[in-house]
Amino acid sequence: MRRNKFLMTAGSMLAATMFSASSAYAACATDGLPGTMAKPGGFPERSLAMIVPYGPAGGSGQVAQAMAQAVTELTGVSINRDHKPGGSGTVGMTAYLAMPTDGYTVLEHIDDASSAHALDSGRPNPAEDLIPLVISQITFSQIYIRTNEDRFTDWDSFVSWVKAQDGKATIANVSKEGSMERINMKYLTDSTGMKIQQISFDKGAPRYGALAGGQVDALFEQPGDVRKFLDSGTFRPILTLLHSRPGVFADVPSLKDAGFDFEPLLRFRGFYVHKDAPADRVEWLQWAFQKGFCEPSYQAFNEKKYMNLIESYRDTAGGKELITGTIAQYRQVYKELGLEVK
Amino acid sequence: MDAYANFINGTITLFSDPMGILIFFGGVVGGMLFGAIPGVSMLTLAAILLPFTAHLSAEHGIMLFSVIYCTGVYGGAITAILFNIPGAPENAPTAFDGYPMTKNGEAGRAVGAAVMCSAIGGTVAAVIMMLATAPIANWAISAFGPPEIFALVFFGLAVAATVGAKTLWKGWLSILVGLLIAVVGMDPVGGIERYDFNMPYLLAGIHFIPTILGFFAVSEIFIQAEKKATGSFKAPKISVDFPSVAELLAHKVAVIRSIVIGFFCGVLPGIGATLAAFMGYNEAVRWSKDKSQFGKGKLEGVISSETANNAATGAAMIPLLALGLPGGALTAMMVGVFQMHDMEPGPLVFLNSPDLVWVVFSAMFFANLSILLVGYLETKTIINLLRIPFQFLAPLILLLATVGAYAVRGLVIDVLVMFIAGAAGFFLRRSGYSLAGIVLGLILGKIGEQTFAQAMQMLHFEWLGFLDRPVASVLIAAAFLTILSSIYSAFFKKHTQ
Repeated sequence: MRRNKFLMTAGSMLAATMFSASSAYAACATDGLPGTMAKPGGFPERSLAMIVPYGPAGGSGQVAQAMAQAVTELTGVSINRDHKPGGSGTVGMTAYLAMPTDGYTVLEHIDDASSAHALDSGRPNPAEDLIPLVISQITFSQIYIRTNEDRFTDWDSFVSWVKAQDGKATIANVSKEGSMERINMKYLTDSTGMKIQQISFDKGAPRYGALAGGQVDALFEQPGDVRKFLDSGTFRPILTLLHSRPGVFADVPSLKDAGFDFEPLLRFRGFYVHKDAPADRVEWLQWAFQKGFCEPSYQAFNEKKYMNLIESYRDTAGGKELITGTIAQYRQVYKELGLEVK
Repeated sequence: MDAYANFINGTITLFSDPMGILIFFGGVVGGMLFGAIPGVSMLTLAAILLPFTAHLSAEHGIMLFSVIYCTGVYGGAITAILFNIPGAPENAPTAFDGYPMTKNGEAGRAVGAAVMCSAIGGTVAAVIMMLATAPIANWAISAFGPPEIFALVFFGLAVAATVGAKTLWKGWLSILVGLLIAVVGMDPVGGIERYDFNMPYLLAGIHFIPTILGFFAVSEIFIQAEKKATGSFKAPKISVDFPSVAELLAHKVAVIRSIVIGFFCGVLPGIGATLAAFMGYNEAVRWSKDKSQFGKGKLEGVISSETANNAATGAAMIPLLALGLPGGALTAMMVGVFQMHDMEPGPLVFLNSPDLVWVVFSAMFFANLSILLVGYLETKTIINLLRIPFQFLAPLILLLATVGAYAVRGLVIDVLVMFIAGAAGFFLRRSGYSLAGIVLGLILGKIGEQTFAQAMQMLHFEWLGFLDRPVASVLIAAAFLTILSSIYSAFFKKHTQ
């Protein structure tokens, strides 16, 4: 009962997401913001630093580069990226919190920061200990199979086949217990009653290679990360973890089509500043990063990454709402999983 | 025939464009320099250049990165040989025998062998790449899943136990220490935090680059400083004599073996040149009639390591270009270059941009050949660095090693790890333990743990499932045979002495 109530709340959030997506194409989300903004007290007088808790080649590294470029194009202020990978983002977050809170250092982070706080409230809460400047990428997940697969051809035949394997079927996924990917897979297996062995890959290339090479039967991933395989016809999606079908994937069944009522968790990436940073500097950074989202170079980047299929933009208030809702959803699931929530 | 015609066309395209020629030679020299300067690497150069590639054509941008990859892997051998500081992890095994050769007054022979074998390994791999990229890539990902990669790692560890230590038991203890260090940090399967002692930075694990810098460069400074203090220091003799062709021909089997190993490791996504170099070195030791000379300045050690790591560079381009699967950090950056030009590496590149593919293939072929010429000229000058007196050189090496350790992840803890490893190495080197074994345990431990867990998940936690996979079975059987034969040798040797 309590879960149903919670899911309805989360559902309304997602519905808002989809609704705002429909208007996103008419005008960019931050077109209403002023085109220029005076530097408060001369800030920033020098380059900004951006801590990125992941390597330069992955999704975070790429979005950090694209946003840094966009902000520089807009303001003329350069941003030096400092990659501190490790510990699923913990190392980068720790390093960031040790930096001076003068507004000169910003942080890129993904929803892992929210799930980490959900599991252990001693970890920083991105909505309270940090100020989200902008959430600039929000995306959904899909289940993929090889295009030349002949054992199953769509979601229904896949589920039937998996059930017939009695737990021997495999799907490539990311590794961390309690991650967005694992929770979404739990929703799917609970809803269908299928048993499928998840194989843990923490890097993209071996994960995609495992499906392409026939080492696993399916893949859980977000469309932007496997776009090249979709464009080349190597993989194809058989289920979209949303309640409606995005236009690009109009022929792929959604959760609603497949008869599921759970609310999927989304992947999101954004940029933050420390909550103790001076207010006038925060305001300037909010303007720069939110406006940066609408720079042509950033919009082109998001489009290339399929990050325009649902509304990818959240300002500070929207970001806090997204993070707070996500943390609550993670906590609920962790308790159901029997994980110790601190 | 098609491949030949395409290669000629790619070569003409490459060298008929002044801008292309400029970028090609810039990449050759830049890769070698950044590879050879301790503390920075070809990855540093690639990261600096990445944003600028947006202003180049796609052909030039990707060609530049592929050339840097070829020559950068070679460049790191120079400091490994001259100063015991591997310019990159894939040059670490080169230092095992390269640096002792320098101390023996054979720096020229060691660097010369590295020049020639890097060129040979890379050029052969480039030719194979041109002939059969797509089928090799598809074979690699089909035949090699986590069980096979784990079996390969297990085999590598079994061989490594026989390298560098005074006794087999010390060899295995060295490997086990490396494996133990490898489990510090977040586990690669469930994200469980281990041995972090409430220090968040330890969650990132102990990186092998600061460990290598500590074990090899810092401990060497300590040892030389001690010798200086006790009056037993001897400056290395300067020699610029290259190995003769006959000498290299005498090692043809080692070269061929390392090409095969390097190519094989390079073509597997996520494995790459580092494992290739270690495996190449290990196999040289395993097949040698006189294992005791390895680690003391044996030319074959340098040849095997440098041939294998450059062979891996060409091979690593295969899964990248044919399937869009980068095998390491630099090939992952190449994906970024593709994306800056609205392209994605993968099967469509061959269909949509065959000219680009063949310009890159041709560039890699000639970049490997150019190692011979540019490497020769560079070597003749850079060896003179050894003339710098120790009291000036040592602080410089420590400074560069410190920068190198910090630059890996921007973490101070890596600098601490380097100095701790330096102090540990100072004592371990006197006690007959194998620093190479510890490093290999650390590197292979991380890959091995992950692939073992993946393999067990794939095999539904049934150990015997490995036996259902022919490649994994053969590799595991070879590993057990290696262990048994080394135990037998150790036991037999003990009782006949």
